[in-house]
Amino acid sequence: MAERESRTGGSIDVGGRYDPIEVLGILAAALFWGWLGLRWLNDWFGGLFVREGQAFLPPSTFEFLPALAFAVEFAPELAAGVWLTVLLTIVGIALGFPIAIVLAGARVYGRTTRWVALGYIELVRGTPLLAQLFVLYYGLGLSSFIRELPGVGTVSVIPEQAVWVAMIGFTINSAAYQAEYLRGAIESVDPGQLRAARAIGLSQIDGIRYVVLPQALRYAIPGWTNELIYLIKYSSLAAFITVPELFNRASSIASENFRYLALFSLAGLFYLALVLTATNLTSRLEDRVAIPGLARRDERLRERSQ
Amino acid sequence: MSDPLLSVRDLRKSFGEEEVLRGIDFEMERRDVQVLMGPSGSGKSTLLRCVNRLSEPDDGTITLDGEDTAAMDENDLRRQVGMVFQGFNLFAHLTARKNVSLGLRRVRGFSKSETEERAEEELERVGLADQADSYPAELSGGQQQRVGIARALAMDPKLLLFDEPTSALDPELIGEVLSVMGELADDGMTMLVVTHEMGFAREAATDLLFLDDGTILERGPPTQLFESPEHERTATFLRRLTDLEAGQHG
Ligand SMILES: Nc1ncnc2c1ncn2[C@@H]1O[C@H](COP(=O)(O)OP(=O)(O)O)[C@@H](O)[C@H]1O
Ligand SMILES: [Mg+2]
Repeated sequence: MAERESRTGGSIDVGGRYDPIEVLGILAAALFWGWLGLRWLNDWFGGLFVREGQAFLPPSTFEFLPALAFAVEFAPELAAGVWLTVLLTIVGIALGFPIAIVLAGARVYGRTTRWVALGYIELVRGTPLLAQLFVLYYGLGLSSFIRELPGVGTVSVIPEQAVWVAMIGFTINSAAYQAEYLRGAIESVDPGQLRAARAIGLSQIDGIRYVVLPQALRYAIPGWTNELIYLIKYSSLAAFITVPELFNRASSIASENFRYLALFSLAGLFYLALVLTATNLTSRLEDRVAIPGLARRDERLRERSQ
Repeated sequence: MSDPLLSVRDLRKSFGEEEVLRGIDFEMERRDVQVLMGPSGSGKSTLLRCVNRLSEPDDGTITLDGEDTAAMDENDLRRQVGMVFQGFNLFAHLTARKNVSLGLRRVRGFSKSETEERAEEELERVGLADQADSYPAELSGGQQQRVGIARALAMDPKLLLFDEPTSALDPELIGEVLSVMGELADDGMTMLVVTHEMGFAREAATDLLFLDDGTILERGPPTQLFESPEHERTATFLRRLTDLEAGQHG
């Protein structure tokens, strides 16, 4: 019982004391996301606190440390790009997820649908993401179709068409990758449990829904974390279809002031912060939904290797 | 013998080229406890699975309570025929209580409070009321198997199938499962049990069936089969079993 309590939630309370590293991490995360949130609010509402893209504090305040002054000067513009990076990642993961469940289900349990799902998954995983984005953006007339939709590109809160194309592309792509992670997870649930579910009179679909999936989704979290990390980084490919996300902003600023190293380092720090946040959150999620008595997968692996 | 609960006629089942069941015939009256023994690979599990159609028979007729099972809705059939597995097969993400509740809610359509009450009762019946909120991985093998039995009982089955319910258990945990099964038999539950526990067969079985190579080679009251088997193969098998048990307990 005591063991169960210590597992749930990433408590920072270690034996009555606080783990200083975890406290520092939480403070840093709060600072970073608080600042980002304020930047986004500021820019969405046309300069709520300061002019769009301008730092909250003048960079000259930090003259004593040129690197910091540089970061303060350009971080606001990058922050606007981070919004699109985050948006593309979350949309890709979230919309790809239900499609992935259907694909993985078809892959494992389907007859003819198995081959349809397999075809889709292999087509998507076997071709470059950039090529997929180009086909959607230039090849299918998708961007001109979206451009004609009411509000797109004219109302400021609705992103322009390239962003929509990228969101569709990432959804299509992520669905295939998530489906593969999920398929592996479904196959790792002991088939005897589905048999037992059928043996009490549950239909196949209910057995999958109430017995297999709740476990498979837990087992899929590590793979799903990988997908999240990839998506954060690969969202930079949207730059090539003109989406002004983080990478795009860094390179366009650098093409004006030629400070490539500094700008890409700064952008790299943003990516790192996003990835750390993502892995931290999914690890907490994994702890929270861990099945009592069963070790987490990484714990099992650690035990085995000892 | 006019109105048997279960009747199996000329049941046949092949996997590929291999004919696993080669014409099985037997009947079960209500309250019967029939024990099925036989060497590994002789088709015992396949036979049980044909009864609840986890495996579809190739040929023959099985009737439950006068109804041809082949014509029944498979989920409806399985609701009426409970199954207890060698490997327990508990739902790993659910507590003991929820393992029992799932079928009540999703198959029988019980309300929340009815489900709660009934799950409690079944866990009580197998002596696990105090473990209702434990997860399978937190329970011993014997406790897991008793939850498995409670899960099957909750569906109010007419017939319970047991497929080697104690052979995955450590010897010291076998007794608690057998005693629950003994109580069910005393309560009048109709049970078809694959097991090699001679003690259980001797005490609880109305009939013992010896399955060999896809057919029922010999059948009769357990004492008769244990003491004066007709076939040499039955005798050899049972002698080996007796030696094994003596080795284990002695
Ligand atoms: N799903 C299956 N596919 C192919 N062969 C099977 C399957 N199930 C059982 N068999 C074969 O049928 C034979 C009998 O198996 P089983 O009924 O499990 O025997 P027992 O339970 O008596 O040990 C074995 O040879 C086994 O390999
Ligand atoms: Mg078997």
